[in-house]
Amino acid sequence: MADEKMQLPKDAFEPLQATEQLNSERIAAPSLTFLQDAWRRLKKNKAAVISLWVLVVIIILAVGSIWFSPRNPNAQNAAYANLPPKIGGGFWGFDGKANIAGAVVDAYKQAGVPKGTYYILGTDYLGRDLLSRILFGTRISLLVAFVATFFDLVIGVAYGMISGWYGGRVDTIMQRVLEVISSVPNLVVVILMIVVFKPGIFSISMAIAITGWITMARLIRAQTLKMKDQEFILAARTLGESTRKIALKHLLPNLSSTIIIQLMFTIPTAIFFEAFLSFIGIGISAPNASLGTLLNDGYKTFRFLPYQMWYPAAVLSIIMIAFNLLADGLRDAFDPRTRG
Amino acid sequence: MWKQVKKIGLVAAAGVMVVPLAGGVSTAKAASLAKNQTFKMMVPTELTSMDNSKTTDLYAATIQNNTGEGLYRLTSKNKAVPALAKSVVKSTNNGLQYTFHLRHSKWSNGTPVTAQDFVYSWQRTVTPKTSSQYAFLFEGIKNAAAIADGKKQPSELGVKAIDDYTLQVTMEKPVPYFDLLMANPTFFPQNKKVVEKYGSEYGTTSAKQVYNGPFKLTKWNGTNLKWTLVKNKDYWDKRKVKLNKIQYQTVKDPSTALNLYQSGDLDDVTLSSEMAKQSANNKDKVIRKMASTFYLEYNQKKIPAFKNKKIRQAISLTINRQKLAKDVLSDGSTAAKGYVPEGLANDPKNGKDFSAEAQGAAEKAAVAYNMKKAKKLWAEGKKEVGIKKLNVELMGDDKDSSKKILEYMQNSMEKLPGLKVTNQNLPFKTRLSRSVDGKFDMVMTAWNGDFGDPITFMDLLTSTNSYNNGKWRNASYDKNVSASKNANAANPDARWQNLLDAENTLMTEQGVAPVYQQNEFHLVNSKVKGIVYHQTGASYDYKTTYIAK
Amino acid sequence: MRKYILKRVLYMLLTLFLIATITFFLMKLLPGTPYQNQDKMSASQIHMMNVQYGLNKPVWQQYLIYIFGMVHGNLGISFQFSSQPVSYLIATRIGPSLQLGIQAMIVGSILGILLGAIAAIRKNTWADTLATLLAILGMSIPNFVFAVLLQYILGFKLKLFPIALWDNFSSSILPTIALAMMPLAETARFMRTEMIDVLNSDYIMLARAKGLTQAGVVWHHALRNSLIPVITLAGPLAVNLMTGSMVVENIFSIPGIGEQFVKSITTNDYPTIMGVTMVYSLMLVVVILIVDILYGIIDPRIRLSGSEVNA
Repeated sequence: MADEKMQLPKDAFEPLQATEQLNSERIAAPSLTFLQDAWRRLKKNKAAVISLWVLVVIIILAVGSIWFSPRNPNAQNAAYANLPPKIGGGFWGFDGKANIAGAVVDAYKQAGVPKGTYYILGTDYLGRDLLSRILFGTRISLLVAFVATFFDLVIGVAYGMISGWYGGRVDTIMQRVLEVISSVPNLVVVILMIVVFKPGIFSISMAIAITGWITMARLIRAQTLKMKDQEFILAARTLGESTRKIALKHLLPNLSSTIIIQLMFTIPTAIFFEAFLSFIGIGISAPNASLGTLLNDGYKTFRFLPYQMWYPAAVLSIIMIAFNLLADGLRDAFDPRTRG
Repeated sequence: MWKQVKKIGLVAAAGVMVVPLAGGVSTAKAASLAKNQTFKMMVPTELTSMDNSKTTDLYAATIQNNTGEGLYRLTSKNKAVPALAKSVVKSTNNGLQYTFHLRHSKWSNGTPVTAQDFVYSWQRTVTPKTSSQYAFLFEGIKNAAAIADGKKQPSELGVKAIDDYTLQVTMEKPVPYFDLLMANPTFFPQNKKVVEKYGSEYGTTSAKQVYNGPFKLTKWNGTNLKWTLVKNKDYWDKRKVKLNKIQYQTVKDPSTALNLYQSGDLDDVTLSSEMAKQSANNKDKVIRKMASTFYLEYNQKKIPAFKNKKIRQAISLTINRQKLAKDVLSDGSTAAKGYVPEGLANDPKNGKDFSAEAQGAAEKAAVAYNMKKAKKLWAEGKKEVGIKKLNVELMGDDKDSSKKILEYMQNSMEKLPGLKVTNQNLPFKTRLSRSVDGKFDMVMTAWNGDFGDPITFMDLLTSTNSYNNGKWRNASYDKNVSASKNANAANPDARWQNLLDAENTLMTEQGVAPVYQQNEFHLVNSKVKGIVYHQTGASYDYKTTYIAK
Repeated sequence: MRKYILKRVLYMLLTLFLIATITFFLMKLLPGTPYQNQDKMSASQIHMMNVQYGLNKPVWQQYLIYIFGMVHGNLGISFQFSSQPVSYLIATRIGPSLQLGIQAMIVGSILGILLGAIAAIRKNTWADTLATLLAILGMSIPNFVFAVLLQYILGFKLKLFPIALWDNFSSSILPTIALAMMPLAETARFMRTEMIDVLNSDYIMLARAKGLTQAGVVWHHALRNSLIPVITLAGPLAVNLMTGSMVVENIFSIPGIGEQFVKSITTNDYPTIMGVTMVYSLMLVVVILIVDILYGIIDPRIRLSGSEVNA
């Protein structure tokens, strides 16, 4: 009978405690944001963690040397030029002995260096402390890299997002422009910057930045293209969010993994490119140093004063290896396919 | 001329040579010659042109000197000896006319070298259409300047072929270094037929020209890094030529050069400063002296403080030139004693070197190192100008040696309280164009003498010269330089005194601060004998060079 | 397919045209003249020289002349080499650079693929670590350091190869090794990632389930499939080789184009800078085009319609 009411006993239902209701839905593991999750997974990758720490230490040392440099990196003492490395009383590899014309001599004695004065990594052609110069050079190299990276971030990400988001004709034109820019050899750009601005850290960073954002823009565009048709963006659109807000609040966080990984590759590329510029003689102006200029000075006397090449090369390699391993680690950490 | 663009200077002073050259090879008996007469030579840059009307660099001039021949050749002491001319002739008509009698000789294509070939070559160089950058060397020969200016026809040049083997040169005014010019490749003859056959391609590859010198150029395609000079069978004096081959190789990296030298792949290499420093004890070391001065220019137009003499003096006194040359450069370069380099020219009266003669107490003090005095002058200068601090940029080339010098000088200068110096190392041509445009505060610049007379240096710093980049102006200096060129042109002694006075003014006023005189550091295989070297100009003559056993 | 290629070629020409335009006007902004000694030249001589180089005309005319000349293979006359056309300079200098580039590319990618494949197959073993480390080291040491070490140890000390100079094939060995380090490292890393992906994919599982041996799986399926994405590396690698070759050519005294490019930059030889830029750009766009087309041919999942494929 349709009219007949179903009779239920009054005690058939029991009100629940407010808290209990939530608890039953709770996931045992703590909830993690995307970044937290990635961080957790990155920590499992030993090589990446070690690299991260190595980089932190190098950055601290390089920046710290502004205040706590072993010696003034620009203080010259021509009488103490080209002294080999020496620590304390001297031991293997750091004994202050040099091989001059087939005979091993105590370079410190020859130069008349007083007892107790020693240079851990030796000195360069103007008698400047190589260790201090390397710290100084590392700082400049990192600075160049970070400035370049910053522009990479700003220009590359914005360009890629706009191109991908608007699509159609805008995209086509922007892609053509990209193609043209990427086909101009970066050396030409560098030369232009040096001529237009003063040669130095700024123009070199700018030149690297101008030519460096292309890859970033391409990657971001591809990701944006993929994402803009996904549900969460559609939802945001349907709810009437402004384009700017969608870009900043929804798109950007989801692009963060791509961006971070790419940045980790941009930094070493920039350091490397600066070293190349030093080689062809248009790097940082003296007496400023970068790892590139130190290496460039060092390789020329490699046969006589090998330490002047080896130490900057070692620092450069360590930085490069660390950034690369960290980037690999981050890529694995962010990659949903490797989620475990 | 500017360093790096150096060509053909004619230096009257003593050249440097490897072996005492009493006839060179004639003393080398056949028995002492090695079987393989091949000399392997390194040059730091490519050969850019073999057209002697157009070349602008020292290396090309050197090769032309060995593949061509003019009226004279120079001994290692820069004395002219007859080459195509049968004898060294004296001028007639008060130094206004020369008549040369030529010997019979052949081009490598078999045609004879005649007086017309000289006339053709000279007219071609002076014609504006050829746009030779060294046509100015012809100044003094009748109508040369007017032709270069487009005001007269090339045929009006003061050179005439009386017959096939008699050449007559008419001058506008006497040129004291005329004999030296005649040994300069710019004045070598050209075979008209060949030049016209190849047109603008003349001298762009080894096949597109002919030779009349001790050697012929081969295997040069115009852009490659190596080429070979082979003995010229048609050379009139081929008996004296001992080398069969000179293999040239461009090597730009100094450590590669050293490796190649030590493994025997090269017999003569030029080393840059750091490599040179490390090879200072090498027994094969040879220092080639050059006639070039590196000096500091202060931009008085841009930085008003540089108008103050004491400020300029103070900066100059901070530089320890001895130490800079010995410890920093270490490539055989020497501290500058004045603006005109040592060994460029000699007093016509007593034969004394200009630089030595100009060395009075005031000049010595101007290039001395005296930090105490520098600080005192600096303090006074600052007060006079009314400044407490001065921030300036120091510009220079981007070569290694140049970078080092700038670093060293910056460090020295900054010992003056309140002076902050920022270094700028630029590619050569960029540096040059900024210098000329006045876009600098201080610039380290260099000049190579074009010929053996102080005027080649002095001219640059007159008020109106476009290469006076610092815009230093001094009426007495201008007056002396002008008098030496005009009023006293025919009076060697008075002219010489004008030049000495100008140098004195320059040094005491510190219009520029000379820093060092550049030399080249070479390693030369000790078996190679009889290289004739001239301090500037077509530096090397290999006509009498040989390889000993 | 034909329509796609046609469209790409058109775009390519447009790109090249734009590059030519941009570099032309940029170069016009820079100081620099063909004269080395203008102070000593008469006004009339300078005028003649300007006429010779076409510098006396208004810039827009110079531009038209340049573009017109370029289409006909005329890139102007070099400032440093008097009377030498830039096109001749490039033609005589490009050979050694191409040879070195190709040799380095072959050596680098073959060794890189091997190294990457081994690392992937022996994932997480010492072999993997070693290969990865080697690859990263190859990317971490500037090639001029490599070049100097190779020259000193293999050339000077052990006398196995010529120290420098450009005489015969053996003189190309050391520079090739120095140049190959970068492509080797890049290919190895890329290959490893791709191979691991492929080895974990369903069809490899299937192949294994069917009883194929490890060698069979790797050879017949994994290697081939992981190679496809590696091809995309060709573009960026070609660019790297260009910059790399400048350094290596300089150290080994090789008459290549890269070394000349650096020289033209430091001597403000603008016609040469422009000419070489155009050649580099041309090579770059052609390589990218070829890679895209190859990619479409090899990988059946990609169908080239009229639309563009982004590598």
